[in-house]
Amino acid sequence: MSVNRRRFLKTTAAGIGGGMLAVQPAKAARPRKALDTDIAMLNDCTKCIGCRACQSQCKLTHGLERDGTDPRYDMPLDLSGRSLTLIKVHKQDDFFTFVKKQCLHCGDPSCVSVCPVAAFEKLDNGVVAYYKDACIGCRYCMIACPWDAPTFEYDKALPVIQKCDFCKDARLADGLPPACADACPAGAIKYGKRGDLIKEAHERIRNNPEKYNDHVYGEYELGGTSVLVLAPREVRFEDLGYELYGDTPPFRLQEDIQHGIFKYFIPPVALYAVLGYIAYATRRKKDDDTTNKDEKKG
Amino acid sequence: MDHNAAPMNKRLWTPWFTFGVVLIVIGAAIIIYRFFAGLGAVTNLNDGFPWGIWIAFDVVTGVALAAGGFSVAALVYIFNRWEYSPLVRPALLTALLGYAIAAIAIVIDVGRWWQIYNPALPQYWQGNSPLFEVAICVKIYLTVMIIEFVPAVSEKYKDSPRPFLRSLANKLGPLVNKYLMFFILLGVVVSTLHQSSLGAVMIAAIERIHGLWWSPWMPLMFLISAIAVGFAVVTVESYIAARSFNRKVETDILARLAGVIPYVLGIYLLLKLFDLIYYGKLSLLVADWWGLMYIIEMALLVIIPMYMLSKKSVRFDIGKLLTVSIMMIAGIILNRLNTYLFTYQPRPGQTYFPTIWEILVTAALVALLFVGYKVLANIFPVMSVEPEKK
Repeated sequence: MSVNRRRFLKTTAAGIGGGMLAVQPAKAARPRKALDTDIAMLNDCTKCIGCRACQSQCKLTHGLERDGTDPRYDMPLDLSGRSLTLIKVHKQDDFFTFVKKQCLHCGDPSCVSVCPVAAFEKLDNGVVAYYKDACIGCRYCMIACPWDAPTFEYDKALPVIQKCDFCKDARLADGLPPACADACPAGAIKYGKRGDLIKEAHERIRNNPEKYNDHVYGEYELGGTSVLVLAPREVRFEDLGYELYGDTPPFRLQEDIQHGIFKYFIPPVALYAVLGYIAYATRRKKDDDTTNKDEKKG
Repeated sequence: MDHNAAPMNKRLWTPWFTFGVVLIVIGAAIIIYRFFAGLGAVTNLNDGFPWGIWIAFDVVTGVALAAGGFSVAALVYIFNRWEYSPLVRPALLTALLGYAIAAIAIVIDVGRWWQIYNPALPQYWQGNSPLFEVAICVKIYLTVMIIEFVPAVSEKYKDSPRPFLRSLANKLGPLVNKYLMFFILLGVVVSTLHQSSLGAVMIAAIERIHGLWWSPWMPLMFLISAIAVGFAVVTVESYIAARSFNRKVETDILARLAGVIPYVLGIYLLLKLFDLIYYGKLSLLVADWWGLMYIIEMALLVIIPMYMLSKKSVRFDIGKLLTVSIMMIAGIILNRLNTYLFTYQPRPGQTYFPTIWEILVTAALVALLFVGYKVLANIFPVMSVEPEKK
């Protein structure tokens, strides 16, 4: 045996010490729910006339390229690296419902939790921001987002993740409402504080119960979102692509498990110590065996 | 090292080796094109399926299959089963190449590859993400494995006629050997962590992967299955290496090693049964075709190997042992692909099937493993000189 027992213990102990150095102070907890003071948007499907003015204005504001198969038109089929919001139409019998798609700016965003390089951040005003200088383009956010909001520029050599940024740089910074809310001629997109908009949404339902589905989507879903959706009475939210999720985002379980494995770095360091002990203990046994054999031979 | 290893010094350019090099050249051309034209130009990845075979197979499955390096290192150095020591260096080399290839696949697959070092920069650390954990641990483990390979390199150059190389080899080799245990333990710990974190990655995707595969216990399942299959990979790798270098297969050692597998698989089976029963998933087994898929996967990965390898007659018959090992490898490939790709369904109507380019790049990376192994085992003392006589 080239390594004697004492040296072995020394190197093992060095390992445990090195592990301890890696202990990190826990980061401040993020808010787990959307707040009433967050900025928000109320998208009312019963008011939307499907003109797609929001879509075009969004594209102009962000300087995005045309989307779709015919180069003469902008006709996106879904959210993509070129379309941060779009209107989809849902047909039920002879009844059409227009529904707006975009990032919902969750109170407790999955993208913020799963991103390995903190390229997403929930800002104090409620906006979920993306930082391309941090992003490595791994696309885990797209796996984890319950609403398929983040998209990727597959057609570019130097791509970024794209999603609605609430016009935070282009318009909010100048005190203007988001481009889509500004462009809507039908009053289907209302911009304001989340608390006020939730109140207003419930008021609309109360005043017109025959018109509205009795649910404010985004009030509680996965901790609440900053984009709230109202649907017609006959239409289920699931059919509009808005699944009725519970109150807790699934990544919370993932974080709990992940934090359990790394609690103050104790489990990894303990594992190191236990393995080190096993190595030491079984080595002693082997050394003893060898000695015995030697004695027998002698 | 309790045994002597030596460079093989065998003829390199066999037909298979040439075929491998051709695959690598083709793959390299596609990869270069991908960096100029974007991911969409060579892959079928889309906003519904952001991860294709490069992630699900090259990275996730590749890392699971490379677990042999840490399984054998733990067995020999930590549990002091020195009878397996002839397998340490071959298993280490396989793991080192496997991880290097997974790292290459990550760089090819991520969109903003020029910022790939970001997870190592403290200002971007994000400890809530299992993927951050995987990134850090894979970087540490690759470094550890390179250090663990230093003794083999210094053995090669310790009598070199060039004085600088000779003195460097004579300094570095003993230095690494002195602290080898520190690195072995570190390697085993970070392997344990990132093998399980790869299982944690998909917990957030509960809405998108099939209930039979989704489980809060995925981290532990990924870890245990990787350890078990690690031994199977070592068996296949020893066999191929022996054949490739025209040497005797170390049947005795491999047979004894295979005796460990049923115990590890037993733990995995218990965990899987607990998962099925406790979370009320038994009905899913007969609900649709995915139930059959699950049963096939379990049969290949766990049930048949457990039964077969518990029999001495199978373990000591290299042909049968090899068949069972390949069965387990197929089983774990199926398991990782089922979890990351096959049962993944973002929205109705979204589909993904890899392009020929994605498949060719994957083939090139697999070829790189075999070609790299043959070249390095030819140059450096990796393979033990003669199998120990019984």
